[in-house]
Amino acid sequence: MAAETPASTAAEPLIQVEKFNYAYGDNQVLFDVDLNMSSEDVTALIGPSGCGKSTLLRSINRINDLVDSARVVSGKIKIDGIDLYAPDVDVISLRRNVGMVFQKYNPFPRSIFENAVYGLRVAGVKDRHDLEEAAERSLRSAALWDEVKDRLHEVATGLSGGQQQRLCIARAIALQPRILLMDEPCAALDPIATARIEELIHQLRGQYTFVIVTHNMEQAKRIADRTAFFYKGRLIEEDDTMNIFNHPRDPQTESYITGRLT
Amino acid sequence: MNSPTTPSRPPLRSVLLRSRKRTILGVDPQKLIKYFFGSNASVAIIVLVLIMVFLLREGIDFLPTYQRELQTYRRAGLEFCDIIDQPLQRNQALSSSLRQAVSASLETLSKTARDWRDAAFLLKRQVEDKTARPRESLTQALEKTPPAPEQIEVFRRELGEASAAAAKALDYPAVFGTAEREQLQREFAALTPEVTDLPPLLQTLAAEFSAKDREARTKFASLVQAQEEFEEATEPLQEVVDELKAKALETKEKAVEFDVLETNRLRLLEAAATETDAKEKASLTKEAAESVSEAVNLEKSIQEITGRTAELREQVEKYAVVIEKAAAVLPQDAGTGAARALVNEVREGIPAHAREMRAAAATLEGWRWDKPVSIFSVIGAFFFGTQWITNSSWQDFFGFVPLLSGSLVIAAIAILIATPVSVVAAIYTNQFASEREKEMIKPVIEFIQAIPSVVLGFIGISLVGNLIKDVSEWSWLQWVPGFPIQERLNMFNAGCLLAFMAVPTMFSLSEDALNNVPRAYIDASDALGATKLQTVFRVIVPAGISGILSAILLGLGRVVGETMVVLLVAGNRIAIPDFSAGPGVIFHPAHTLTGIIAQELGEVSRGSSHWQALFMVGIVLFAISLLVNWCARAVARRFEPHKA
Ligand SMILES: Nc1ncnc2c1ncn2[C@@H]1O[C@H](COP(=O)(O)OP(=O)(O)OP(=O)(O)O)[C@@H](O)[C@H]1O
Ligand SMILES: [Mg+2]
Repeated sequence: MAAETPASTAAEPLIQVEKFNYAYGDNQVLFDVDLNMSSEDVTALIGPSGCGKSTLLRSINRINDLVDSARVVSGKIKIDGIDLYAPDVDVISLRRNVGMVFQKYNPFPRSIFENAVYGLRVAGVKDRHDLEEAAERSLRSAALWDEVKDRLHEVATGLSGGQQQRLCIARAIALQPRILLMDEPCAALDPIATARIEELIHQLRGQYTFVIVTHNMEQAKRIADRTAFFYKGRLIEEDDTMNIFNHPRDPQTESYITGRLT
Repeated sequence: MNSPTTPSRPPLRSVLLRSRKRTILGVDPQKLIKYFFGSNASVAIIVLVLIMVFLLREGIDFLPTYQRELQTYRRAGLEFCDIIDQPLQRNQALSSSLRQAVSASLETLSKTARDWRDAAFLLKRQVEDKTARPRESLTQALEKTPPAPEQIEVFRRELGEASAAAAKALDYPAVFGTAEREQLQREFAALTPEVTDLPPLLQTLAAEFSAKDREARTKFASLVQAQEEFEEATEPLQEVVDELKAKALETKEKAVEFDVLETNRLRLLEAAATETDAKEKASLTKEAAESVSEAVNLEKSIQEITGRTAELREQVEKYAVVIEKAAAVLPQDAGTGAARALVNEVREGIPAHAREMRAAAATLEGWRWDKPVSIFSVIGAFFFGTQWITNSSWQDFFGFVPLLSGSLVIAAIAILIATPVSVVAAIYTNQFASEREKEMIKPVIEFIQAIPSVVLGFIGISLVGNLIKDVSEWSWLQWVPGFPIQERLNMFNAGCLLAFMAVPTMFSLSEDALNNVPRAYIDASDALGATKLQTVFRVIVPAGISGILSAILLGLGRVVGETMVVLLVAGNRIAIPDFSAGPGVIFHPAHTLTGIIAQELGEVSRGSSHWQALFMVGIVLFAISLLVNWCARAVARRFEPHKA
């Protein structure tokens, strides 16, 4: 599969991270990160635990705003040229356009249908027909429709873990975002469920710009066009996935992907 | 392994079997510790069981005791009298409405004159009060024999000066014009003990009022007369009823006395039977023999009562005819709208009252003095009885409904107030408050719990009561049902204070419930573009709803069981709240399950039916608390979605 992945497109980067420094209180966790992610690419963020991958991801939809101590020290993240931390940015609209899937699947304790349309509901969509259509479309996209179409009004927490995670993906794509952020989306799943999610990402690539945090090197190789390696809050190396895994330029990258660095 | 270089180590098998020597009184200390902890836990359970057993033991005897009492009530004929006497009470309510209508009507003409007269007389009183001392001296001097003219003169001057000063210092109401004010001042300054006649202006005012009053009475003559006639209509009937009641009461007292002596006799005989000492035995037997009274011939006395059924029925019929006639001639022209409404109410109430009286009279025939009182009807009389009457010279009734309804209404008010306050406060604190605000709000709300409830009772009596009363008199709030309120101490007042007491419990538990909502739900909602408020109301509150509901139920448990505040503030009127008053009923006083126990248990004699009845109330209260707590637990379990 990796062989098929096209070399990075020359398109204008959709997400630009520029000299980004980020801290929790006095504890700085990201240092001078410079990273461009192109539209329609799948970018994998890898690196040892605590290196700041999740922090970077959570800065892209500004969900870290909810953490009291979190703050941008300096630098910018731009989407389509707009600085996300500028005062006139509409955070709610940002989050509607940048979906997120979490490590631990977290559907609401309500019906499958209500989960799928939650984002639309809070966006003010009331029309029953529109909601039903959107639910079907997103569940189909998430390859879940056939499994749940007869039990849409059963509580979502009764699904299997893999199904719940796909429901979370459906829930995120119901809003038709441009970007999907995924923080270790398969970490809580068994290999078969993992394979289905990876397959799903494959199907959806091109429609969305994916940024995926993963600890699984093989997974990164299978799904990512580009891979960025972080270490201790710094971006060490970013390149085509093939290059990172076959010809890492930095010795730290090499130690990490060969399992000698943790 | 077992190297010979370490001979000091004992063989393994001896270690394995070595018995532990360290024991306390032959018991392994480990076990002792276990028993100690275990016994502490069981103490709680044992005490709970003991409480239940104790309550049941004291209370359960109530039913047979009350059964005996109700039996006597029937056999002595009290019940027979009540058949007529109870509905007859309605006459008083109707009369009082009519009286109100009359006085409202009369006031339309005489109110100004009366207010003037009253104001002037009040002023005179104030002057007299202020000059009491010199007046007293002068009076004594005048009474002295032989008289001492110069002394009298001194006192007279003193009194004159004091009166003039007092009259000048008075606060004259605006109804008096300048001329009147000056005249009053002059008249007050000239008040002396010898002149008993009223000063001229006061006389005029009094005469004016009498004239107006007379005029009003002629104008509304028909209404005044109707009211008097209606009130007098009961007299012949009431006379017969009273006569029968006296007879029944006499019988009852004899029967009760006989019962007491008979019980005593049986007890003495029993003691004598088991007594071994011959002398003691003889004295006990002798005492028993003395403890007899003439058995009452119930049948004979009851016949003296039931024998007059026909007469009674005739009187009821006469009464009904008279009041119906009175209703027909009730005039339409009462003085004010309110008075007309009252008269109309009476006009409509009288036929119903007459019907009720006739129906009651009809049941007299079917009444049987020797029909036994079944235990079920006793249970019904307790749980559905609408009267709680104790220490009555007539008959005690232990009906539970007035107390229960008072408790429930107060609890409902408290919960209706406390729920929004505490839940909203919990949501704010949990979701919107900054760390510093949290550190402020939580201890403050939790501190409320530390306020002794008797102190809250003071606040209810002195502060909240007055506040509610004052507010209820604001003219632009008169649309509120029940305003202006009559009683400072009422169910609403008690409900407010109980709400205040329940808030800490409900707040803390609700806050915990919100806190337990998994972070992941909140993240998911935020990541989907929900605003803070949307996240709170669509995700956090629904996910915490079981905890919130059980917090509300536990608050309810606290409110139902609270005693001091309701005792001090609820007004303690033992009557079913008058729900016909609509929502305004919450401003009426009431009594409660807890309050009645606290108030009466100290005064009743141990083991009496009243004592047992209070224990029954305690049992029911206990049961209600258990039920509410059980519901709270069930709810907490039932709606736990993220634990599914
Ligand atoms: N809410 C927070 N408050 C304070 N510090 C935090 C918070 N979240 C993360 N950190 C700190 O920031 C640093 C980076 O954390 P982050 O979660 O971004 O790492 P990560 O690369 O995602 O690790 P992992 O692979 O284990 O998920 C860590 O040192 C962590 O302790
Ligand atoms: Mg992480």
